[in-house]
Amino acid sequence: MPGNLSFDAIIIGGGHNGLVCANVLARKNKRVLICEARKECGGMVNNDITNYVPPVTSAVSSSIGGMQINYIPKTTIALSETGQHIRLVGNQHIDHKSISTFSSHDADRFNDFHEKMSKFSKTLGSFMMSSPPRIMNNSFSDYFKLFKLGLNVRLLGKKNFNEFARMIGLNIADELEDNFENTLLQGLIAHDSVIGSNLGPRSPGSLINLLYRMAIHNNSLFGGIFQIEGGNDQFTKHLIEKCKSNNVEIKTSASVKNCIIENDCAVGVELNNGEKMYAKKIISNADPRSTYFSLLGSQNLDTDVKRKIKHHRSKGRVAKLILELDKLPSFNNCDDNDLDSRMVVAPSIDYIEETFNPSKFDKLSLEPTLEICVKKDSDQNPKLDIKVQYAPYKTHQGWENIKESYVKSIIRIISKYAPNINECIERKKLLTPDDIESEYNVSGGHWHHGEIQIDQLFMMRPIPGASQYKTHLDGLFMCGAGTHPGGGLTGISGKNAAKAVLDDF
Amino acid sequence: MTQDLRYSALKKTPFHSRTSLASRTNKYYNWNGYTVPTEYSTTELEYTAARNGTSVMDLTPMGKYEIIGDHAHQFVDYLVTRDLSKMKDNTVAYIIWCNEDGKVIDDGTIFKFSSTKFMLCCAVKIYNWLNDSAYGFDVTITDVTDTIAALAIQGPTSCSTLKKFGATDLETLKPFEMREYNIDGFDILISRTGFTGDLGYELWTDPKNAEMTWDNIEIAGKELKLRPFGMYALEMTRIEAGFIQTNTDFMAAEDSLRPTRMRSPYEIGMGWLVHLNKNSYFVGKKALKKEKEENTTERCLVGLDIDGDKPAHGSVIYNSKKEDIGIVTAALWSPIMKKNIALASLKRPYGIKIKENIFAEIYHPEELEYRKIWARCKVVKRQFFNPERRNKVPADLYE
Repeated sequence: MPGNLSFDAIIIGGGHNGLVCANVLARKNKRVLICEARKECGGMVNNDITNYVPPVTSAVSSSIGGMQINYIPKTTIALSETGQHIRLVGNQHIDHKSISTFSSHDADRFNDFHEKMSKFSKTLGSFMMSSPPRIMNNSFSDYFKLFKLGLNVRLLGKKNFNEFARMIGLNIADELEDNFENTLLQGLIAHDSVIGSNLGPRSPGSLINLLYRMAIHNNSLFGGIFQIEGGNDQFTKHLIEKCKSNNVEIKTSASVKNCIIENDCAVGVELNNGEKMYAKKIISNADPRSTYFSLLGSQNLDTDVKRKIKHHRSKGRVAKLILELDKLPSFNNCDDNDLDSRMVVAPSIDYIEETFNPSKFDKLSLEPTLEICVKKDSDQNPKLDIKVQYAPYKTHQGWENIKESYVKSIIRIISKYAPNINECIERKKLLTPDDIESEYNVSGGHWHHGEIQIDQLFMMRPIPGASQYKTHLDGLFMCGAGTHPGGGLTGISGKNAAKAVLDDF
Repeated sequence: MTQDLRYSALKKTPFHSRTSLASRTNKYYNWNGYTVPTEYSTTELEYTAARNGTSVMDLTPMGKYEIIGDHAHQFVDYLVTRDLSKMKDNTVAYIIWCNEDGKVIDDGTIFKFSSTKFMLCCAVKIYNWLNDSAYGFDVTITDVTDTIAALAIQGPTSCSTLKKFGATDLETLKPFEMREYNIDGFDILISRTGFTGDLGYELWTDPKNAEMTWDNIEIAGKELKLRPFGMYALEMTRIEAGFIQTNTDFMAAEDSLRPTRMRSPYEIGMGWLVHLNKNSYFVGKKALKKEKEENTTERCLVGLDIDGDKPAHGSVIYNSKKEDIGIVTAALWSPIMKKNIALASLKRPYGIKIKENIFAEIYHPEELEYRKIWARCKVVKRQFFNPERRNKVPADLYE
């Protein structure tokens, strides 16, 4: 092998999964290098993109020697134009009380609904923490894992088993309309089911999205939503400090052009500036499409693999609007405490579905759903960080031509809840999915590096034959959100990938 | 060629006016959506022309794909198992290509005009496969099946016929080379290739030249025992030559429903076309490498020399313990070899290490009754018929 083999592993991309993976490997005495294309590590975990995070599991935390960060639980508020907001914190009694002011029927139903969903998300969750079975290599342990999932589902009991089977392909709208009468509550839960995805509340499969989300958020609908003390980028900072103490070398502004392949095996990386580095294992934190088509190169892929990657659905539908303010606007019927909460604008299922519809045709809806988060920038000036859905990946008119009017329409929606918003705005910045794509090197600008839907989950994530964090090229692994269990800032992909790499040494 | 599709679902080739005139039996079959003759008069006569004179066959329905672009050479080398990196301009190569599991999809020939222009010919339609494979390469693939008329001119006097037709110095063309001619104002490409295992050529031209070309070749071959021949006679000659036929001797990987029916190149005697030491990747390389390293090849395709004179069509092959060890995929009493020959797919080690004590169970139909024959077979080279004249340069000429 040419060059000097000073590293055991090179990780391409220093997103949070890459950082977790690096730390796990380094703690097993591997010499690790991270090549990050941007000026700083962290990928999409930063104060611009990330609003709320799920808690890191103890398994991930202990695999990197403990995480010393404080999670602050957040209340969720479904904003109502009439000021009759619903506030939910994830506590059974408090939430029951909160909902019963609108409908005692819904309040009772909510508890039952939550209990059922929680049970199912736990079942799914048990499967999510470890590496998924690989269906194409006929090994006993893989079949056993699959059998265990089946068994876990079966052990729910006959009634629950049937209910689970019914729910797998179900749309969330039907389930919510069967249970609740309050449209604002329906809208709020539907919003959380489709957040970050390419589905509307009436799209088949939108329910499993919610179960999946619950599985990483403490198996709770609204109880597992956190911010990190000191800002969400503390998460990255903490991981980078860990890297330093574990002697992981980090190279920033080091954009990798492609993998170096010798004898049909990945042996190193070549940077855009021509620099070459070699290691025993190469791990890609990039999304599956970039990993396969850019790093591995389509000339090194079998036709069928190309077909699968081409089919991989990874077009983002979420934009981010950042409004820098000189003062906080006053939201109708909200106190200071409320402003510290997660505010959702999704008044009803129909509202969401109607804003979803045009996006199917790459058109804009001027009434998108919003998730508003009040933050402070480094100078302690307030800002609103707003998740906007559904913003199509590409639009017919071209994003450049319609960005401004789109921002205006979003602000108009906010003004229904905070009438003085216009007076407070100093600067506006809209990140569309294709901005996210180019700024963060994520194909399609998708938050989870690929849709979280039944055909792209578990052993099918990212594509059949490439699960278990391996790619089709020997020596090249994947550790990003495109792998099982996927996005959501859990670090599980990074941790599991590290284990797969260690098993291969 | 335009035609009214209301009356005919099958297309007619540009030679149809001539082939239908030559046909005395009106026997046609469907080849890739075209109607072409299975036999013109009697298969035996057509076979004899192919082995002793010149035979002419309409090849137009063969799948023909043009591959053009800056990456054309790179793409072709990636598509097939054979190392084509050193392929010269104006040459032709026999190739196979596999899927990701290293199972053969089809065989065919690739024509190289320049490093940016190739033409691929094969029996079945594979446009989608080519297009999907080409993702990431700067190439454009065009299905030119309908826009190139093709004729096979095969047999010992074929060179003389074509020389009379106007192809000057054709005898100097080496096997698997091609040359562009302008004959009577028509641009015609002639390649020294074929499917009969004998001296032979293939002609490629614009459909509008087709009828004139046919007529002129017929005139040129008048004294050289020229005769059009159909699919049945071709089948006889290709078995003698030991050439394999997709979906007859093996199932195309993209067509077979049962995964166990797919065959790797090593299982159909095409291992010599797999270059695992090729520098670049090719489709199926990983799987083929694994098969080779782990020695998991299960079957082989061999030639059988069978006792007696009754062809062993579809016979089951047994070992001395009467255990089923394989099946005959193509069989024939070879008139020129005076031998009862067959191609058979056998379970290894039969055919590779064990070549003796192999038997074919032949059911010979005799007026509504079968005579069951237990015939001893010998494993032999698949290329039963390989005359010296096939590869001779300059090619034999006759007056």
